[in-house]
Amino acid sequence: MPINYYIFTAIALFCIGITGVLTRRNAIIIFMCIEIMLNAVNLLLVAFSKMFHMAYLANPAKAVTSGIDGQLFVFFIMVVAAAEVSVGLAIIVMMYRNTHSVDVNFLNRLKN
Amino acid sequence: MNHQQLMALLPFMVLATASIVIILLIAFRQGHTVIQVTGFLMMCLVIFTMWYVRDVLPQTIMPLLIVDGYGALFTGLIIFCVLVVGLFSYIYFEEREENPREYYILIFLSTLGAAILTISRHFISFFIGLELLSVSLYALIAYLRTRNNAVEAGVKYLLLAALTSAFLLFGMALIYMDAGSMDFSAIAQKLHTAEQSSPLFLLGFSLMMIAVGFKLALVPFHLWAADVYQGAPPPVASFIATVSKIGVFAVLLRFAQELHLQNNHSIMTIISVIAMFSMISGNILALRQQNIKRLLAYSSIAHFGYLLVAFLPGNSAGVEAAAFYLIAYAVTILIAFGVIILLSAKDKDAERLSLYRGLFWEKPFVAIVLAVALLSLAGIPLTAGFIGKFYVLMAGVQQQAWLPVIVLVVTSVIGLYYYLRIISTLFADVSVAIQKEKRLHPFFYAASYAALVVLVLLLLGFGVMPAIIIPGIKQFLLIGN
Amino acid sequence: MNISQILFGILTVLALVSALGVVVSKNPVYSVLCLIVTFFAISGHYILLNAQFLAIVNIIVYAGAIMVLFLFVIMLMNLNAEVEPQKSKILKFAGFIAGLCLFLVIVAALKNADEKTQTQATQLAGGDIGLIKNLGRALFNDYVLPFEISSVLFLSAMVGAVVIGKKE
Repeated sequence: MPINYYIFTAIALFCIGITGVLTRRNAIIIFMCIEIMLNAVNLLLVAFSKMFHMAYLANPAKAVTSGIDGQLFVFFIMVVAAAEVSVGLAIIVMMYRNTHSVDVNFLNRLKN
Repeated sequence: MNHQQLMALLPFMVLATASIVIILLIAFRQGHTVIQVTGFLMMCLVIFTMWYVRDVLPQTIMPLLIVDGYGALFTGLIIFCVLVVGLFSYIYFEEREENPREYYILIFLSTLGAAILTISRHFISFFIGLELLSVSLYALIAYLRTRNNAVEAGVKYLLLAALTSAFLLFGMALIYMDAGSMDFSAIAQKLHTAEQSSPLFLLGFSLMMIAVGFKLALVPFHLWAADVYQGAPPPVASFIATVSKIGVFAVLLRFAQELHLQNNHSIMTIISVIAMFSMISGNILALRQQNIKRLLAYSSIAHFGYLLVAFLPGNSAGVEAAAFYLIAYAVTILIAFGVIILLSAKDKDAERLSLYRGLFWEKPFVAIVLAVALLSLAGIPLTAGFIGKFYVLMAGVQQQAWLPVIVLVVTSVIGLYYYLRIISTLFADVSVAIQKEKRLHPFFYAASYAALVVLVLLLLGFGVMPAIIIPGIKQFLLIGN
Repeated sequence: MNISQILFGILTVLALVSALGVVVSKNPVYSVLCLIVTFFAISGHYILLNAQFLAIVNIIVYAGAIMVLFLFVIMLMNLNAEVEPQKSKILKFAGFIAGLCLFLVIVAALKNADEKTQTQATQLAGGDIGLIKNLGRALFNDYVLPFEISSVLFLSAMVGAVVIGKKE
């Protein structure tokens, strides 16, 4: 597959995620849309890593990378996302306990 | 990994061990005081090990980290800030009878994230360091969760930080596509051979700047700053203002240095526009603030705008200016938050400006300390803030970046107005000074006051005789270059 | 049109449609289910790219752990379509337009850039870096330090979640 297809798929997913963040008010759904964006980046990185690896196999002397760093980066992104979700959901549950809502529009008490 | 590389990493291992030690102390049901003292000693140990391993620097730990003088300088600054923040945290939490023991674990882990940022030379370590910093910060901001505001600030910071780190990753992926590598020096080589900068790199860097701008609270990514400073406990706010920003700025500076971004015209334009907007809107938003925490947030936006001017030249003079400015800024902001913490009552932080009216006649020492800090933030001569601003201006003039330099001068004058307004409030004759009973052992108040005195002496010392620190900074920055 | 192209098309459409489903569905539980479908589609993409380790990890971590956590929290709060707050029409429209604009800008910026890379392709066959053996070797030789740091990251997440979530 041409790499372009992957790039456009990833951009489309990323922008769907952004649209979700901008249009929804539920903090949990916003968080889920951010996960979509992270997944778009993961897809992009895996495709690039594969592309660089094919270039490396074709001509090992010329290539900068064997492409393995891209896949490892994806692995670390997944690790970090899991950690972030665990703390994030704890904070959102706390917010629900305080305000009985997960609506981000209620986050307006901090003002003068 | 050989012996010397392990030696170079020793300070970071000690830093990671500090949090484990705290966990064990909690498991053995030790009190707040024991944990506080142990944490303090562990941080001293980190500084000691940094001094101990100075001879093996610089060490590159392929492929991710590089421990050189630059990293050691900023790590040292970060550890110093944590020492002071930890000291102030004690009286803040002890007076509130909160249970702050896990707080120290999170503070040390977050510090480890910032320290990793200062020594990273690869996107993976950049990202993991940044996330270690922010995941701990989410919990720290919402730490006093029974207060509504803390959770609100936590949710805001959480959602925006997660969103911007997605942008950061997208930018990194595009640069990876362009350069075929995530290593800063390999990207630099690739850029060097390319005849012109590609749109991929430009777009990637712009997307990365969204996340970096968010962490540094640069305009237009600054909307969280005031709310989070206000909602978070003051020790955590001072932590965000110093440690988190120093770490992120250090990695941005290293990235720019490695890639020689100053040669890239479009990127320099983006950065100077961000710098100018930050200086202007930070200062203007601060003008009418009645809440001192929010005011400090807006002033920090402006200060990082000034710092970006030092960032423009991309030569060693710019780096020295930025390092000195960061040191002066960190010391100053720690004093300001220290005063807020000392004045805070049990149920409410001392954040309304009206509370500070006539403070001088009630508590002359605290008022004078705060006044010195504000004068330094305003950049009045004889304080470190002045010398820092002077160096930044020099760096900007050298680069002939006239427009940002002019904006810097003009907005500094605007800034003078609101800093002087607070100072005049401090010395006003009508006194409604804060009533607050002291309930802790006087030793801890004495320690906090002593810390304030040391910080003020540093501030004035750097301001009167910058020669005592500038050669040190230069020497540090030379290691590894 | 060979088999991998057809699979690529199906998986892409599935991922995009279900991602849209996350954004538009009123009921949070449907959003979660759509998101799981997205993750499976992306795992399918990884298998097409011969990145089998990541495909499995994606399913275990994302679809398995993270989404169960989301679902659990949503059930705990008893959120459903009726109590779900909605933004005003204008704000929704503005958000949609902003997303679309960003899409067009990035596509336009990358369209020219890709001319030189248009010929570079990722093929189904060949290339075995995605296998556990090779990834594991790289992870525990060169990248062992970030691996350790990420374990520290988990420690901080654990402490953070416990501190925030514990009872009074």
